[in-house]
Amino acid sequence: MKVFNRRNFLKGGVAGGAAATLLSKSKDAGAAKSFGGYPNSMGVLVDLTRCVGCRSCEAACNKEQGLPAPDLPFDDTSVFEEKRRTSEGAYTVVNKYDTSKDHPLFRKIQCNHCNEPACLTSCFVNAYKKTPEGAVTYDPTVCVGCRTCMVACPFYVPAYSYSSVINPVVKKCVFCYDTRLKFGRPPACVESCPKEVLSFGKRKDLIKIAHQRIRSKPDLYVNHVYGEKEVGGTSWMYLSSVPFDEVGFDTHLGNQPIISYVKEFLTIVPMVLTIWPALFAGFHLLANRKDSKKNEKQSITNGEG
Amino acid sequence: MRTLAANGKTPINTLEKGDSKLMWTVKEKLLLGMTTQEYMAQAVRNPFNWLLAVIFAVGLPIIIGRFAFGLGYVTHSSYDYPWGLFLGWGLFVMVPLSASGFMLGTTVEVFGRKDFKPIERLALLNGLLGYFFAVVFLQVDLGQPWRLIYPMFVSLGPAAVLFLVAWHVATYLSVQVAELVPAFAEWMGMPKLKKFIKSMIIGLTIAGIILSTLHQGALGALFTYAPGKVHPLWFSAPFLWFHFFTSSIFAGLCMLIVVSTICKKSMAWRCDANFTDNLDRLTLGLAKGATLALITYLVIKIIAVAHDSDWHYLATGWGQWFMLEMLIGVILPIILFTYSIRNNLAGLARFTALITVLGIALNRLNTALITFNWKLYQEIPHWREVVIVITIYALYIVTYRFILYRLPILYSWKESKDV
Amino acid sequence: MIQKNKYLIGVIALLALALFTVPCLAMEGPDSIELDSLAELYEPVQFDHIMHVEAAGDDCSVCHHHTTGTPVQDENCIGCHANSGEADEVACSACHPANRFQADYLNKIDENYRLNHVDKVGLKAAYHIKCMGCHEENDAPTGCQDCHTRTEAGDKMFRSGKYAPKGGNKSRKSGH
Repeated sequence: MKVFNRRNFLKGGVAGGAAATLLSKSKDAGAAKSFGGYPNSMGVLVDLTRCVGCRSCEAACNKEQGLPAPDLPFDDTSVFEEKRRTSEGAYTVVNKYDTSKDHPLFRKIQCNHCNEPACLTSCFVNAYKKTPEGAVTYDPTVCVGCRTCMVACPFYVPAYSYSSVINPVVKKCVFCYDTRLKFGRPPACVESCPKEVLSFGKRKDLIKIAHQRIRSKPDLYVNHVYGEKEVGGTSWMYLSSVPFDEVGFDTHLGNQPIISYVKEFLTIVPMVLTIWPALFAGFHLLANRKDSKKNEKQSITNGEG
Repeated sequence: MRTLAANGKTPINTLEKGDSKLMWTVKEKLLLGMTTQEYMAQAVRNPFNWLLAVIFAVGLPIIIGRFAFGLGYVTHSSYDYPWGLFLGWGLFVMVPLSASGFMLGTTVEVFGRKDFKPIERLALLNGLLGYFFAVVFLQVDLGQPWRLIYPMFVSLGPAAVLFLVAWHVATYLSVQVAELVPAFAEWMGMPKLKKFIKSMIIGLTIAGIILSTLHQGALGALFTYAPGKVHPLWFSAPFLWFHFFTSSIFAGLCMLIVVSTICKKSMAWRCDANFTDNLDRLTLGLAKGATLALITYLVIKIIAVAHDSDWHYLATGWGQWFMLEMLIGVILPIILFTYSIRNNLAGLARFTALITVLGIALNRLNTALITFNWKLYQEIPHWREVVIVITIYALYIVTYRFILYRLPILYSWKESKDV
Repeated sequence: MIQKNKYLIGVIALLALALFTVPCLAMEGPDSIELDSLAELYEPVQFDHIMHVEAAGDDCSVCHHHTTGTPVQDENCIGCHANSGEADEVACSACHPANRFQADYLNKIDENYRLNHVDKVGLKAAYHIKCMGCHEENDAPTGCQDCHTRTEAGDKMFRSGKYAPKGGNKSRKSGH
């Protein structure tokens, strides 16, 4: 609930900038930091050490979301020759990375469903929503197509259907929210994975499981759960046997949610809105004192200021 | 037109024809008091119009193609670079260069520096058109431009920086239209309308300052959504909005110097003595303001690098690029402006203003495109994207010229004796 | 009571196995098992148990953890179950749930939450992790269709075989 208090503050600040919101700012801004996601939100733990690159998840996603036919069949491993990213035709892709270990690792890419999503906070038509189940969903019917969400996403996930003339929209993984998650079922990729690379469960449980795995096999895993804290925490989290930068993760994102970088500007908005009018009206009066005195002595003939 | 003026034809600058009581009709005013044939003849004589014709012949079909075949036809459809030249140039460069409106509005109306009055309307027009065409660029770039009003009325996301930009640009556009209504009212002969606007000019100007401070800053704040993508030397969470705001001050002033120079050189027939005679003095005055803003900007740029402790980046290739931008766009102008102000050299100030404008354009393109995704690959815009940008910019110039030729911007309207 | 019943059933089953199937080299166990609980995209697997018993050097615990009388080896289990003895059930499916991530199962483990129990992999993963881990070590086949033939539904989902996309090998540009 805290996040809503914070949002309300920002709303007030940006839209109106009343003094009342200015007063309520300090306590809400402090509270905002403690938002760690919905308590019972679901998540997925991705164990890179288990993945063999069978691309079943890609195939399952394509079917579940009714995406267009791929250029190559999903059992074609030649796609691993290049590093792919999510696109308007693929909400998830698996890439292969040569690592410092003697074997390559595979990494699945899809929306990480942040606790405080940058796409959501950057959207000026509120097209995104973080559901209590953990999914970051998107409403294509209000999207204007400014693509700020794509700029804001630290993971380079949202794609855009540039090819569409009439109805180009953002395309990204929505955690199978409408077809599965809403009904308590795991997303299609999780269900299709043969080796349980993807474990579906409550996010808070998955964090415990992840650390338990690291504890029980300290030689196998690097001691880090990617996504537990990154950019404020994500619903999808990762375990790896090599340092995460070796498998294409950005390890410099920091643990602050993206919105925290923008807050510095948002806090000055109500100040400018409230202080500027008085300040500049004051300047005007000072600068024009002589003129107005002169004018007062003469009769007020014209209303020129 | 220059030729005609030399031949003794005076451009329309009052409601009545010559000494008679006959009023100019709107059509005559539009044709600048010429017959249609005369007007066409002077248009064809102008080689610049031929250049424009070529640009439109190539560009307009491509703009139509963008709406007929989608963004994929004119851009590389990049997911990594969602914003290309349309916004990189059209929004992030055009808007700071249009800050002249609120700067001169503040100077003249709020601070009471009536000595800047001869150039105030040009500054306001420069602001209005810059913003208007920024919106045109935005409309080309938006996936679904017909939903432009959604953030206003349909689905509001008030916590987003772009929400603020959208609202402020929209309201500021109306403010600027209102600020220019007096010029239009004079031209059309509607004194009551002019009086009405004049009565609220202070309110409008202060609204302009607020809106400008916030949305100029907001354009910078937009990039604070991408802390990992913009190169650290161009990124600063606490200062980026301030960089954009401060630099918009000298960007607007220098753009005004450049535009006024072009006006003086290319449409001297339209400028009256009040404008022409005061221009050198005003140019140096504007240069003074720009220099102060440049120094402020330089200082907070350095503070930002120190605050984030980005010194080690200066030794990299990106660092040299950054220093080049600062050298050409900031430090060199400070030196040249100071020299020209000391020695009363308006010509040098004009040249310096041009460098500064190019420098600020480089800064915005650096932030939005060139150093964006510095850890990935570099995106080279599609050639059609470049053509569209040139075409719309040409459209901007044509509109600009059209209005300058007619409305009392560069000259004062001669009030009728009996109105 | 339930425990006793289970035990009884186990004994009866064992007897039945002893009666009706040829006992394997190591001990009582089937020759071959049809793994069909997940058959949808793939045909059921005919698992050659005898061959794999041989391959494992008659060591049941290579696959069956502690379920056949051998001591517990898994690091995760050994802490509590070092002396727990033989389990009642032998089949993988007895412990590894086929509905690993469905709400009913998740709720069940939620009710009786034990950190060491909540990460027990589902049936499909149990097969694949066990089989493929060993196959990789021993250079045995690891491709999907080396072990199970894909069904038509599988071909359709993988857009392979007769469902392969037309238009050849043009690779999709990765958003650039």
